[in-house]
Amino acid sequence: MYFCLTGSQPFISGTRYNEFMTNSTTSSKTVKWLHLGSGLILLISYFLPWVKWESIKVNGFDLPAGNFFHISETNFKLGNPFPQFAFSFYAFWLIPVLIILTIALVSQHKKSAFPAFVAGAMTLSQITVYYLFTNTLVDLGVGHSAFAMLQPAVFIAVIASAIFILTASSTNNWLKKFAWIIIGPVLAFSAYKMGEKYVMSETFTNTTDIKEDYTVNATDLIREFTLNDTAANNKYREKILVVNGKTTQVERLSDSTTIIQFADSTGSYIAFSFEKEQYEKVKEIKAGDEVSLKGSCSGSIFSEILGTTSITFKRSTLNKK
Amino acid sequence: MKKTTFVLALVFAAGAVFAQKKTTSSATVTFDATTPKDALPKAENKTVIGSIDTQTGAVAFEAAVKNFAFSNPKIQEHFNAPNWLDSDKYPKFTYTGTIEKVNKVKFDKNGTYKVQVNGTITVKGVSKESKVEGTITVADGKIKVAANFSIKLKDFGVTGQAIEAGKVAEEPSIIVSAEF
Repeated sequence: MYFCLTGSQPFISGTRYNEFMTNSTTSSKTVKWLHLGSGLILLISYFLPWVKWESIKVNGFDLPAGNFFHISETNFKLGNPFPQFAFSFYAFWLIPVLIILTIALVSQHKKSAFPAFVAGAMTLSQITVYYLFTNTLVDLGVGHSAFAMLQPAVFIAVIASAIFILTASSTNNWLKKFAWIIIGPVLAFSAYKMGEKYVMSETFTNTTDIKEDYTVNATDLIREFTLNDTAANNKYREKILVVNGKTTQVERLSDSTTIIQFADSTGSYIAFSFEKEQYEKVKEIKAGDEVSLKGSCSGSIFSEILGTTSITFKRSTLNKK
Repeated sequence: MKKTTFVLALVFAAGAVFAQKKTTSSATVTFDATTPKDALPKAENKTVIGSIDTQTGAVAFEAAVKNFAFSNPKIQEHFNAPNWLDSDKYPKFTYTGTIEKVNKVKFDKNGTYKVQVNGTITVKGVSKESKVEGTITVADGKIKVAANFSIKLKDFGVTGQAIEAGKVAEEPSIIVSAEF
């Protein structure tokens, strides 16, 4: 025994007291240096590559910097499913800020546990998001395994975060510290899976309820595509367009779907396909009618069969007659 | 001179009369990659261009990849993504082939005929030979063509964990229907 209690006062005898104090100070210093060291390593790792999507390296800071989804969308056509919440990613700049704050507070012997807990938990939650999103890319055929696409810096960041949290305060409340370690990944995993479930259960909004990106005349649109299909495709593909003009062909298929076309004198044409739910609205339209149609533009192809340009629209609706 | 013009006019007139190639720009192609785990990867394109030559038996189809309409926006995005069908780079699927023993199909008489088409399907810039069984129905001067076959996605360089995990069929079925 190093000490015994007499009433409420600790009593430690002579040499043993000094030994205890020396050990305690040494241990405290080790923890402090471990804390500062892990913070510094975490800070550096945040600016190093965490994942590699094919040949593209994505760093930790790329999420708050807005590069994360930009890289994914540009290279793999997988964008942020919730662009309305893109601003929230700026919050991850708190990670380096809180690490620097923690280091400053520790240096001044001030309380620093809370910012360290938050920085560590946020890092672990961000790593979870990186892993899950990489796994979604693997579903799309980018690489074969999300784990294999993780970079050394991300493993260093995981270890450094855990040490940063565990050494954050002199108290030995391990339960609290382990809670801070798992809270980030648990919240991130739950939010990601909920978001994924929402995205997969979503259906397209009715075209009627979407504001058009462009309103064009049918012959002008055909001309734009035939003059420069690359530019026109880049401009109009997957955009909602209102197209006005005189119909040249109306076909009603056996399943009650309808195809309405506008053609120019060269035979190049625009075709709008209407689902059967639209049948009642378009059933009276005939060739030669002036109509206004709205739909999602699928762009153009040059048909070798017809020798003309074909511009197609899906999820079409009657704008007005 | 007049005689030459007359002969040329006759040639063109005869060509018009005997032209046996019929076309449509409203054929339907259904792409069905659903599995017991996932019912979402299914889409239809109703503006497919097709042609049939009743004389030679030549058939051809062209489908704009981007005009396959899915119910779910994310699945549609995945379908068109570079590592899947890369519709920006390869904007159309094509099929060209020839109906075997086309002379047995009486295009001027109502009836239904089972046929086999030997052809080539091109997806994502990769061409594969393909034998397709189909049905031709002639009714009151209209020719209806129907076919149902499957393709192996990996034959066209389309792979991914979603296929391995059984969320997307390895061999989606392709259903074609056209009226000429």
